[in-house]
Amino acid sequence: MKDTSDIGKVTEKGEAHWIEWVTAIVSTLIVAGVLGWVGWRAVSEEKVPPAFRIEITERMPVEGGYRIRFDVSNSANRTAAAVVVRGEVMDGDAAVEQADVTFDYVPAQSKASGAILFAREPRQDQIRLRTISFTDP
Amino acid sequence: MGGTASIENSKTQADGELRRFLVGLGRGAAGAMLFGIPMLMTMELWELGFYIEQSRLLILLLVNIPLLIVLAHLIGFERTSTFWQAVRDALTAFALGIVISGAALVMLGVLKADMPMATIIGKIAIQAVPASIGAMLGRSQLGGEDNADDEDDETSQSSDAVPDSLSTNYVRELFLMAIGALFLNLNVAPTEEVVLISYKMMNWHGVVTILVSIAIMHCFVYAVSFRGGHRMPEDSSRWPIFFRYTLPGYMVAMLVSLYVLWIFGRLDGMAATPVLISVIVLSFPGAIGAAAARLIL
Repeated sequence: MKDTSDIGKVTEKGEAHWIEWVTAIVSTLIVAGVLGWVGWRAVSEEKVPPAFRIEITERMPVEGGYRIRFDVSNSANRTAAAVVVRGEVMDGDAAVEQADVTFDYVPAQSKASGAILFAREPRQDQIRLRTISFTDP
Repeated sequence: MGGTASIENSKTQADGELRRFLVGLGRGAAGAMLFGIPMLMTMELWELGFYIEQSRLLILLLVNIPLLIVLAHLIGFERTSTFWQAVRDALTAFALGIVISGAALVMLGVLKADMPMATIIGKIAIQAVPASIGAMLGRSQLGGEDNADDEDDETSQSSDAVPDSLSTNYVRELFLMAIGALFLNLNVAPTEEVVLISYKMMNWHGVVTILVSIAIMHCFVYAVSFRGGHRMPEDSSRWPIFFRYTLPGYMVAMLVSLYVLWIFGRLDGMAATPVLISVIVLSFPGAIGAAAARLIL
């Protein structure tokens, strides 16, 4: 075994301290756990296209307008990219003001937050927020 | 006569020490440049300067200090024998990292005088972490033929590598793997590609990536006969080595990936499975970095 390719190499010692074995066992469990979890998801999970839910988290008058903060959550197990959320201030059936906001990503089973600025103060029941488009990443 | 000679002698010795220190500084600066440039020229890292959460930036900076101290102890600017020397070298490296990053960002026109102070400091601070690790590595890796000094290093390395108590060596190996993983992670984590890849991947891609990462780690160190590689002990089978070094190494790479992604705010609002996939994606370069660190450092 003592050929030239062994120059500058370190031989691992055969016997190990007990700490090493504890680390080895913990690591093996963690890696196996991650593999198991992801593998199980890979086998069991059905691919559901992105589905969104929008929740308003804050309404606040700001200089020159009115700010609506909201969360977009994606309950599916596929990530959506370039998600466009359209905010409208409704007066009856007609939209009197409209603004779009684009999210780079809304990851699977996760949420992203953003805000829309309206020029006028909408009443509670006058705001309509909906996602109008997305792409697959 | 003897008196003058010894004064002369100590004077040249002092000159030599000063020169060696300056050369060490120069190598540190070169290392900071060499290892820091990819990040200094990455847009996402400039942007992180203003949107990173200040508390996480603080954690990143604070964690960097003990990390540099241990690294200094292992491979510092000068061979350190005491704790305080290691602290001094660590702080020197950190300062070098800050100065080099600041200068480079000014030169590249990323930092302008009319920017708010918080932004300027944030941008420099993020860059200073990889640059300071680079400064530390520069001293040890770019130091070519610093005759006596290097011979010294050489002997100390080999005596370190086969120590009386195996656990010190073991901790050292895990630490070096963490450094290697951290280094590559800092390069890759801020880019948008990491999250994009994790969104593109299906779960079974993740499974394959884990297995490939572990296999690469193991083969890098044990199979492909790099200089500085490690040999299997001849008397025992191969599997214990795999479980004692490679799997813990991968676990270290995953933990470092999780840490870096969290610091950069890449995991905010994500559910468990996407987080896991992102960590697996980043652990791929991390594993390569960890394996390389075992060979090089």
